Amino acid sequence: MYPIVLLSVLGIVVLYLGFLKSKSILLPATLLFLVVAMIGNFFEWNDGELLYFKGMFAVNKLTLTFNAIVLFSAFMIVAMTQGFQDNEEAQPAEYFALMLFSLVGAFMMIGFENLIMLFLGVEILSVAMYVLTGSDKRNLRSNEAALKYFLMGAFATGIMLFGIALLYGASGSFSLNGIESFVTLNQRSPSYLLYAGLLLVLIGMLFKVSAAPFHFWTPDVYDGAPSIFTAFMATIVKTAGFAALFRLLSHSFSGIYDFWWPTLSILTVLTLLVGNIIAVYQDSFKRMLAYSSISHAGYLLIALTSMTKQTENAILFYSMAYSFATICAFGVLIPVAREKSLEGRPNESYEAFNGLAKNNPLLAFVLTVSMLSLAGIPLTAGFWGKFFVFSSAVERELVWMIIVAVLMSAVGIYYYFRVIMAAYMKEGDTATIRIAPFYKIVLIAATLLTILFGLAPGLFEAAM
Amino acid sequence: MNTNYLPSDFLPIIVQFVLAAAFIVVTMIVTHRIGPSRKSKAKDDPFECGIEVVGNARTPISVKYFLVAILFVLFDVEVIFMYPWAVNFKKLGMLGFIEMVLFMALLLAGFYYILRKGVLKWEE
Repeated sequence: MYPIVLLSVLGIVVLYLGFLKSKSILLPATLLFLVVAMIGNFFEWNDGELLYFKGMFAVNKLTLTFNAIVLFSAFMIVAMTQGFQDNEEAQPAEYFALMLFSLVGAFMMIGFENLIMLFLGVEILSVAMYVLTGSDKRNLRSNEAALKYFLMGAFATGIMLFGIALLYGASGSFSLNGIESFVTLNQRSPSYLLYAGLLLVLIGMLFKVSAAPFHFWTPDVYDGAPSIFTAFMATIVKTAGFAALFRLLSHSFSGIYDFWWPTLSILTVLTLLVGNIIAVYQDSFKRMLAYSSISHAGYLLIALTSMTKQTENAILFYSMAYSFATICAFGVLIPVAREKSLEGRPNESYEAFNGLAKNNPLLAFVLTVSMLSLAGIPLTAGFWGKFFVFSSAVERELVWMIIVAVLMSAVGIYYYFRVIMAAYMKEGDTATIRIAPFYKIVLIAATLLTILFGLAPGLFEAAM
Repeated sequence: MNTNYLPSDFLPIIVQFVLAAAFIVVTMIVTHRIGPSRKSKAKDDPFECGIEVVGNARTPISVKYFLVAILFVLFDVEVIFMYPWAVNFKKLGMLGFIEMVLFMALLLAGFYYILRKGVLKWEE
């Protein structure tokens, strides 16, 4: 609750700070505000289950932990922007304010107790992302990405709203508890209105987390948006989306698990196949990361489909491991692509990484750890993320799904290792890239956390 | 809430749909049938308040118009929220008043931002 209020107000403060002559205060101010929100987040840590706004918004340990992951990812990404000082056309105050506002939307998605709140959260998060996607105004690709994202996102939101209306029509309630009691009362006699509503809401949410077959916007949008905002999209939108999906399915619709699990399992397998196989054929590292984000949506969907007691922990750990690794990957991509820029545009292909390790051992190491984590190699957080996801599927005896997932992880190793090979084995002449000290600290911190949680995954549960 | 509606309960809605569609069809047929129709060059020209037609309508328009139009819609719609509040002023009491003040404060914060950004400065 506190982070929502704090960030709404502080976002406006950031907007006003933009009127000052000097833009250099914006970055430290935004980082400070994020720290303030993080402290506010833990104010309610020991209060158990709380309800706000006439029972429309819930706070408990799970939502607070998701909030913390989102806030921490946002902190690292904001720190990596370096205040947009290298870009004269940038509007740092607006970018930072939009990022803070979109976090408010993410918190609402994480803790919603009422479908109206979910819709509001999705919209706040999405509208801010549409603007940030098109923030590189002079770049045609960025414009294209923003338009595509906006149009398709608007359709998906419309479908979701239609689904919410049908759910209301069936159960007479917007609140998760109301729908849950309707579902448990009418378990014997199915209400087709409810089924249709649930499917439409699922379509809307799966679009936001880019699961196949609603993934078609992802590569173009991730590729066209400025890399820093792609990192924001790939981590925060996905974490919040899966938190919302988990809340919806575990809370209201656990009574009709038999109805939705076959649908979701087909989408899961499809997402895994599409994400991993198309990623192999990419020449651009950034585009590969977009497909990799689709494939990770697939792994997270496995945990959702199995919906056991472990699912909660699996989704939390997986989204955290995925967020850290993705931030590292983009953190390396941004300086390398800028150093190797072609015709004034950052070069985001695999070739840009050729021979990176010779003069930039740190960047190459960070890249390696993040790729290993994304691929799920032991001793990284990504391995335990996959382990928890698979073990929840084992509990549900979804063996065939695990077989597909393991095969697809093997495919994943191919394209994740391609960039490591480029950095260490291939010939290339990359001069030493100068990185700001703060940027370096963020990269090292995210890498160390990835390794730490890879060595001792129990630390995370102990912290909860 | 009564959730057990029978299909027959929706009959009035269907009747209204049919009536609405029938009204359009009937008026269109009748006006085309009974009205005289003469065609000439002067008659087929677009009518612009008596002024002769100038150029194409699809010319580039300054972005300022769109900005002002969007801002107008934004603030216009926000003011609509005042009406339900005014109607229920006594019922909502002090809490409603505080919420409305908060809402207006946020709105004015946005307005101040627009002014400082110079969106409404037409000459620049």
